[in-house]
Amino acid sequence: MAEETLLTDDFLRQLINVGEVDILVGLPTHNNAKTIEPVIQAIQAGILKCFPRERAVIINADGGSQDGTPELVVGASIDDVKKDDPRDELRKGSKVYALRTLHSISTQYARSPEPGTALRTILAAADLLRARACVVVSPDSTAIEPDWLQRLVRPVYNDNFDLVSPIYRRQKFEGVLMRNLLYPMTRAIYGYGIREPYASEFAISGRLATDFLSKEIWSDEWGRIGPEICLTVTAITGKYRVCQSFLGTKTQPHRSASDLVATMRRTVGALFVSLDSNFPLWSTITGSQPVPALGTQSEVVPEPVRVNRKRLQEMFATGIAELEPVFRSILSAPTLAELQKIATLEFSEFNYPADVWAKTVFEFAASYHNSVISRDHIVQALVPLYRGRTLSFLLENRDASGEDIEKNVESLCGEFERLKPYLLEVWADRK
Amino acid sequence: MPLKREAGWYKEAIIYQIHVRTFFDSNADGIGDFQGLAQKLDYVQELGVNAIWLMPFFPSPLRDDGYDISDYRSVHPNYGNLEDFKTFLSGAHDRGIRVIIEMVANHTSDQHPWFQESRSSQDNPKRDWYVWSDTDTKYRGTRIIFLDTEMSNWAWDPISKSYYWHRFFSHQPDLNYDNPAVREEMWKVMTFWLELGVDGFRLDAVPYLIEREGTSCENLPETHEVVRELRKKVDDQFPGAMLLAEANQWPADLRPYFGNGDEFHMAFHFPLMPRMFMGLRLEDRKPITEILQQTPEIPASCQWCLFLRNHDELTLEMVTDIERDYMYDIYASNKSMRLNLGIRRRLAPLLDNDRRRIELMNGMLMSLPGTPIIYYGDEIGMGDNIYLGDRNGVRTPMQWNGGWNGGFSAADPESLYSPPILNPVYGYQAVNVLSQKRTEHSLLSWMKHILRIRRSSPVFGSGSIEFLYPANHRVLAYIRQLGKETILVVNNLSSAAQAVELDLRPYKGNILIEMFGRNIFPRIGDLPYLLTMGPYQFYWFRLRRI
Repeated sequence: MAEETLLTDDFLRQLINVGEVDILVGLPTHNNAKTIEPVIQAIQAGILKCFPRERAVIINADGGSQDGTPELVVGASIDDVKKDDPRDELRKGSKVYALRTLHSISTQYARSPEPGTALRTILAAADLLRARACVVVSPDSTAIEPDWLQRLVRPVYNDNFDLVSPIYRRQKFEGVLMRNLLYPMTRAIYGYGIREPYASEFAISGRLATDFLSKEIWSDEWGRIGPEICLTVTAITGKYRVCQSFLGTKTQPHRSASDLVATMRRTVGALFVSLDSNFPLWSTITGSQPVPALGTQSEVVPEPVRVNRKRLQEMFATGIAELEPVFRSILSAPTLAELQKIATLEFSEFNYPADVWAKTVFEFAASYHNSVISRDHIVQALVPLYRGRTLSFLLENRDASGEDIEKNVESLCGEFERLKPYLLEVWADRK
Repeated sequence: MPLKREAGWYKEAIIYQIHVRTFFDSNADGIGDFQGLAQKLDYVQELGVNAIWLMPFFPSPLRDDGYDISDYRSVHPNYGNLEDFKTFLSGAHDRGIRVIIEMVANHTSDQHPWFQESRSSQDNPKRDWYVWSDTDTKYRGTRIIFLDTEMSNWAWDPISKSYYWHRFFSHQPDLNYDNPAVREEMWKVMTFWLELGVDGFRLDAVPYLIEREGTSCENLPETHEVVRELRKKVDDQFPGAMLLAEANQWPADLRPYFGNGDEFHMAFHFPLMPRMFMGLRLEDRKPITEILQQTPEIPASCQWCLFLRNHDELTLEMVTDIERDYMYDIYASNKSMRLNLGIRRRLAPLLDNDRRRIELMNGMLMSLPGTPIIYYGDEIGMGDNIYLGDRNGVRTPMQWNGGWNGGFSAADPESLYSPPILNPVYGYQAVNVLSQKRTEHSLLSWMKHILRIRRSSPVFGSGSIEFLYPANHRVLAYIRQLGKETILVVNNLSSAAQAVELDLRPYKGNILIEMFGRNIFPRIGDLPYLLTMGPYQFYWFRLRRI
């Protein structure tokens, strides 16, 4: 029986027609028709404005959309079949003009979305088309601007970086998971200060794309659920040149409570999985080194964010009470006792300290490694605790400026790095 | 004996552009001449062209390479005399080669007796033969063409103490075509040459014949009236003679110069040429198909003139700013290669002397709709000399052999009108007619071959064109059709091998016969027709239903 192929014959035919490219922009989608148009327009404008001479292609890896998303992407092609007068664009004052054909093609890789397969499809295309730079853009990044493209591509193109990770301009209470867990933990574990280790927008070089594509991770849980963090770890562990680039405002789509569980699974779960295979590497790393950040960060204008803080406290307290048997198998007794004590605090006194939070996360990581219970349950059990930490973060930074928040995040990172030996301790103990 | 001027002969023509000065020196004075040109007519015939376009050979101070004429009815003494011209013309016609000459109608040299009379006094009968003004503020909406050298379209004449109008160099005053006497005199000039037997004229700088306040002074309705008047006289008195317009304009703006088939017979398609170079380097057919999509239909009796290179710079007036920047960066990275809004280089150096690219570009030139023009020397891949001023770098002596002065002249090398190309890559010892004649696979031999194939079918000159749009944008494919004859042309613009699927269902049942090797390709069926093509490869297929 023939080996199953990743790329369909039809997609392969489209790739043959595209031919070798300089820049490949990947769009993993699933029912994104409501948001995809401005994203596509920004990508198209970014290519025409900043890379008019480069051979570029937009590749949509779709996970079975039923809302016409692929058709919207394909419609963005600029070619000679549409018999418009190219000078019309100039006369209209758009100031962008396509010197060459811009292909926008689509393939459906599955009937349901799977981030790993989507990224793998995009990387396989980048490998086949020998793209010098491969950019991945989230289909719901409606705040994307054309300049994002060059901010992501130029470091690869001009400065030979292999991974360009974004730095977003966020409102003070956005990106809480990133600020409180993913960034501090990744930084402490792998020793690199990458602000968005789990980015939905990033750029990679052709050589990293090819290398990453050849990794044996795609059938693993890690590769399937969290390929982005897997990529970051591959870049770090493979000694690739990594940098960050200031993009702009990142707006978060509204997420329901159930989305948080899925997000935790994709991000925290993937981060925990990455620790398994990379233990020899990360266990010897102490401290962290900064990663160069290119461009300039613009001032964040704080906007009031409406969060039901009381509800967060309730969910934290309820979680502590209801999941106590689960926590007993995951957490150490002193940590659990600390959490139970925090759960009894009045709202006005609520505080989930940084050191307790770092220990909590490390104990969860060790339990995940040793599969003390179902790994999925471990990640789900972390959700109410994360809500508690979120409340603490909101209270602590209620009146803080953007700069103050950064200082607090930096302090939290320091705490994770300081307590890393504790992780090594519990890592072995949990067996 | 003059060739019979058959109607529409120009549609089947392949034109070879020559400057008498550059081709062959018969009297060892260092300058090419008509006797020398006549001696080389066998070469021109063997090449396979059937028309010659001569650059200006009239008496002139030569401040603009002959485009500054001081006598319209004679031959510059450097090139011989009128008898020499007649001998050349007769020799060309004997070989079935037609001759097109320049008619620099818009302006004369300031040394022309007409201008000397005109400037001599305000009462002179020829005063109104030129455009005079007391101020230099008229026609302010008119652009300056030679931006590198001219500050204004007006020049002060200290003799008549007034300003005269000039669209080009200030030593080239514009004739006043509002004056019927000027129009009549220019017709007499044309009659003079037509009676000698020339087959047509290339009319230089046509859009600028008439000036009107508040306009751009280009493409005015009154200019078209002048052309129509001229055309009628040609048709009435010299049927079959051809008028070719030089008007560097967008296709839509050029279309009126064909009128209803009652103005020019032919016009240069200026915007196509830079886009062929652009498409080649972008490896993308888009620039080519886009400009041809914008090209309007022209009357059945009319024809576009296509060229890759000529005696001027590769003009970039009819491109967008983005395209111009791209062309400069790609084809003229050395700033001394640039002149005005263009690139002063020859075909082979522009294409990095890449034989495959030279062949592909010539293949497109010969198969796109229009009459092709080959610039002398490009058939052997001559180089240029960017260190010579103005456009002289692409007007160096023809390279006939590897001997003294490249076989161009027996004069002392120091006395040549221009130094020949000497470098080891393009110099006459490396690139010359004699050595290429001896090699079956030389560029010259290949050019002869493709011209022979082009001449084998009237489809190329007169057929319709329909673009196929294969999904592979690196491939430019089109169908040329005339009557029952159909030819499929497929060009790979890429430096890499390509696979392309063509939708040829309308031609189902036909087999393809490759026109260069006459090999048979599979019959067209219902499925997309798959071709694989090598880098820069092109195919011409004749479709046959057998």
